[in-house]
Amino acid sequence: MTLGELDRRRLLKIGGALTLFGGAAPFGLQLAAAGAASATAALDYKAMVCVFLVGGNDGANTVLATDDDSWGRYFATRNAGVVPIALMPVGTPPVAAGKFSPVTNRTVLPNTPETWGGVLPIIPNTPQPIPGTSGSTRTFALHPFLGPLQSLFQRNRLAVVTNLGPLVQPTTKAQFLAGATPIPRNLFSHNDQQSTWQSGAIEGSKVGWGGAIADSLLSMNGANALFTTMAPNSNPLFLTGQGVNPYVVNTGTQPANTIASTYHYDVIQDATSTSDLANDYAAVVSRSINSAATINNAVAQGAAAAIAAPPNYVSPFGGGSQVNGLAVQLRTVARLIAAAPQLGLRRQVFFVTLGTFDSHDNQNASQPDLLGQLAQALVYFDSVLSNVGGADLSASVTTFTASEFGRTFTTNGTGTDHAWGSHHFVMGGAVRGGDIYGQYPTLGVDQGAFYNPDMAGNILIPTSSVDQYGATLATWFGVSPTDLSAIFPNLANFNSGNLGFI
Amino acid sequence: MSLELDRNDSSIGVGSADLGDTMRRLTAGFVIAGLSAAPLLTSSFLSQSAGNREAASTQPMTSSSAARFLTQATFGPTDNSIADVQSAGYATWIDQQEAMPVSASHQAYIESRLAALQATNPAARIGYPDFFNSFWKQAATGPDQLRQRVKLALSEIFVISFNGVLLDTRGVASYYDMLGANAFGNYRALLEGVTLHPMMGTYLTHLGSVKEDPNTGEEPDQNFAREIQQLMSIGLYQLNQDGSLQTDGSGSPISTYSTSDIDGLSKVLTGFSWYSPKPTMVGGKATFNGGSRDPNATVTPMIAYPSYHSISSKSFLGVTIPASTTPDPSGDLKIALDTIFNHPNVGPFIGRQLIQKLVTSNPSPAYVARVAAVFNDDGTGVRGNLGAVVKAILLDPEARDDTAVSSQTFGKLREPVVRVANWMRAFNATSDSGWWQVGSTSGSVSLGQSVMFSPSVFNFWRPGYSPPNTALGALNLVAPEFQSVNVSSVSAYIINIHAVVFTGLGAKSATTGVSDIYSTYAKEIALANDSAALTDRINALVLYGQMSASLRSRILDAVNVIRIPTPPATTAQINAALKSRVSTAVYMALASPEYLAQR
Repeated sequence: MTLGELDRRRLLKIGGALTLFGGAAPFGLQLAAAGAASATAALDYKAMVCVFLVGGNDGANTVLATDDDSWGRYFATRNAGVVPIALMPVGTPPVAAGKFSPVTNRTVLPNTPETWGGVLPIIPNTPQPIPGTSGSTRTFALHPFLGPLQSLFQRNRLAVVTNLGPLVQPTTKAQFLAGATPIPRNLFSHNDQQSTWQSGAIEGSKVGWGGAIADSLLSMNGANALFTTMAPNSNPLFLTGQGVNPYVVNTGTQPANTIASTYHYDVIQDATSTSDLANDYAAVVSRSINSAATINNAVAQGAAAAIAAPPNYVSPFGGGSQVNGLAVQLRTVARLIAAAPQLGLRRQVFFVTLGTFDSHDNQNASQPDLLGQLAQALVYFDSVLSNVGGADLSASVTTFTASEFGRTFTTNGTGTDHAWGSHHFVMGGAVRGGDIYGQYPTLGVDQGAFYNPDMAGNILIPTSSVDQYGATLATWFGVSPTDLSAIFPNLANFNSGNLGFI
Repeated sequence: MSLELDRNDSSIGVGSADLGDTMRRLTAGFVIAGLSAAPLLTSSFLSQSAGNREAASTQPMTSSSAARFLTQATFGPTDNSIADVQSAGYATWIDQQEAMPVSASHQAYIESRLAALQATNPAARIGYPDFFNSFWKQAATGPDQLRQRVKLALSEIFVISFNGVLLDTRGVASYYDMLGANAFGNYRALLEGVTLHPMMGTYLTHLGSVKEDPNTGEEPDQNFAREIQQLMSIGLYQLNQDGSLQTDGSGSPISTYSTSDIDGLSKVLTGFSWYSPKPTMVGGKATFNGGSRDPNATVTPMIAYPSYHSISSKSFLGVTIPASTTPDPSGDLKIALDTIFNHPNVGPFIGRQLIQKLVTSNPSPAYVARVAAVFNDDGTGVRGNLGAVVKAILLDPEARDDTAVSSQTFGKLREPVVRVANWMRAFNATSDSGWWQVGSTSGSVSLGQSVMFSPSVFNFWRPGYSPPNTALGALNLVAPEFQSVNVSSVSAYIINIHAVVFTGLGAKSATTGVSDIYSTYAKEIALANDSAALTDRINALVLYGQMSASLRSRILDAVNVIRIPTPPATTAQINAALKSRVSTAVYMALASPEYLAQR
């Protein structure tokens, strides 16, 4: 076989891959609709970036309410156990290990909240009343390792969505305790709630909402639709649609097949076996071979090549410098975004991960640096997007956090266990930042006369649903109302399909 | 050469004589010659035990049948192991393997490796790549291959991982040894070994968990209490013995446990921490809190520290341990593990996963039920006999039905580490250093898998993973290993296996530049003048004689274009050409999708 023949054959295979996407029949009508809508908005580009905090981030130590009642219950509950995890009040100066803390009345141990100083205040543009009062303005703060996000919030580029989690329908504490309303299955189970956050159903689910959103807008991406949903180094359910498969990229160069043997191409792509296992595998090999060079070329030039590498992560409280894995992934995303015009792509969904946040044990040693990496990575990403080859793309890209669950409000002595509702961040130039969306919950476990309507035991019952969160993002992305209700079938159970943060 | 191809052999393997699935044979599109005409089964034949069935066969086992069996039961067939299975028969070979003592200890490897390193550099340390190397050494060379293979399977159910958690290398080696030691023992002992191993205690954080404190609301750590149920014993839903879900009146699955069961079990698991000959309870230097660490604390089961153990009432899985005034950690743990062990879900839940890891991703319900029945009673009234379970899995008619080699859906995707171990064994790879210094193969541009380095306790892939937008997914079939298959990993595998086959793998010698681990392909080079004989040998070793005609002809084409020079060419030039022929053929076989789909 001559090289020319081989090239022609490869081109035919690219054509084949596209036929696969064109064949996403269930979305045929929506595809046409999206195409019509997009005609009026030529040259626009939008991307959604999901930052998944793997393991279940402890929201109660991420975004905090600092009014006296909330703080009192928070501090009394978490300043307990072998290694207390309660953060220090706003304004508390850091206390070095070995010194005495007047707040906790303890000699301070290394890597404990006393050494970080107080939580960092944030003031939402829209005041929230203290629960049970009508006028008093509630105050809020972020974990001491989230300094970079404090300034993003005050610059209105970052919003907080509070007490968010998977729900089938609005659920009160009484309904939850009585089992009176349907709730998501297998709450508190890592894999099932990862799946539920990403797809609305427990493990075994096959279509994620990022993938379904991509399905509905696929026709906007032309010949390179293969690159509509992309993820560095993982194969997420979130990005899998009915026609769309996540395109997994390396944070380095995409492994491209450079083995010079014509026979070899026939072997590794042979999809004529009697085995589905073999043929399904061969299909992925073909996709890979037909696309790796395209991606490698696209990110190796122009604005994509110029995306600056992220700085290493250094803890705000000292310690060594280390690679910030999330920032490295976001750099890859930024390069792919920069390459999008060249590839003719107008809608992309990305998925990156950080973690593990599963802080059952010694939470003080794990969560703070992960939050620090999150904050530094988000600020880095915001910064590179503000100048992509001279263009400010920050209003075209919305980045949001997700995580399988929040964690128990009480401590297990050194950490926290699996729970439900939690607080999340949304970042971008299109975001109505500087605000907290949803009413921040009442804190505290029921005790004596105190009855917390937002917590069952030590677990927050979400007041905003993942469906509402996703639908809000999808609406900004350009998904039609018809498609929204197909992608988020529980959306109709809620008062509003838009949480208003973008 | 002892490995003749079976394609012209019309005799029937012993495996075919075990056929239970006549339906499959009747519906198969075509049947590979040499694996076809099995005798019709009779009811009396079916009633015989597996061992007797084998004895009843009068036909010699084909090398293909033996190689296929060894593909399921070991890290890959070799000339010798194929001959052994052919001579002993499946059941006797399994008995011999299960009776074989543990061949080597990973902990001992780590200790001797450290000693060797410190002999030249007293400050030398070991790290988790040394454990990986120990895995490769035993996978490639261990004579107790069935134990080695089952050990890997167990490590993917009872998961601990270096990934993201600082675990002591020697401690993890000891944990892996513990899995191997219990591989053919009783599941109850395995469960206790897992629960009390300090590396599991560290990984799933019940080590040092303290009883509840009603004054502060402090609760015991729930991590292991949850995962031992969800992942290591009973799973989330009540199962029928064939592995199918039981459902309630409205057709919904029935949960096996709730949050209150986790609360109860988490109280049982309080008050266990590091081994010490002189345990101390209070303060940062207390052995309970990890102080004054005994040198063997990471390789010795955790011990009870009664004053940290909950004395309140503990309810789980229908059992209640009443409140008491005296803490009884060991007594409470015995009740808890006995209760889990005796839950009817364990047989189908664990049995199905072991089938998936060794034989096929989608076993029939009847296959799961047969294995679960052996778990429930090994024939002598013993519950939880894993040796009997493994034997039942491998001797089951569904596993031994050689017509499955042409099945559309039977089998599983070979795991990345198993593929490379398969190459090591088939082609008699050796390690120059003797330490098998492969190092990490975890990276996304490597194999994406190192043993004991999964991303989380949920393993590299989930037993219920069904790949979206594939033929298998459309049939609602699962293919767990596909969870790590993507456009990036498939190319990484091709590039890596190419390098492995052509130049070997592992640390390169500073003096020679040669990889630590490589094959000389002595037996293959001897055949390399004859491309058909070379291809047939590779077919027999890595594709149990079932290479497709298209793969065979492509390999022949690729090999035949590599001309063997004749004098005046030098011997070195001739040898290089022969080696190139062999490497090309081996690489193409190992990169082919039909190889990756083990059937």
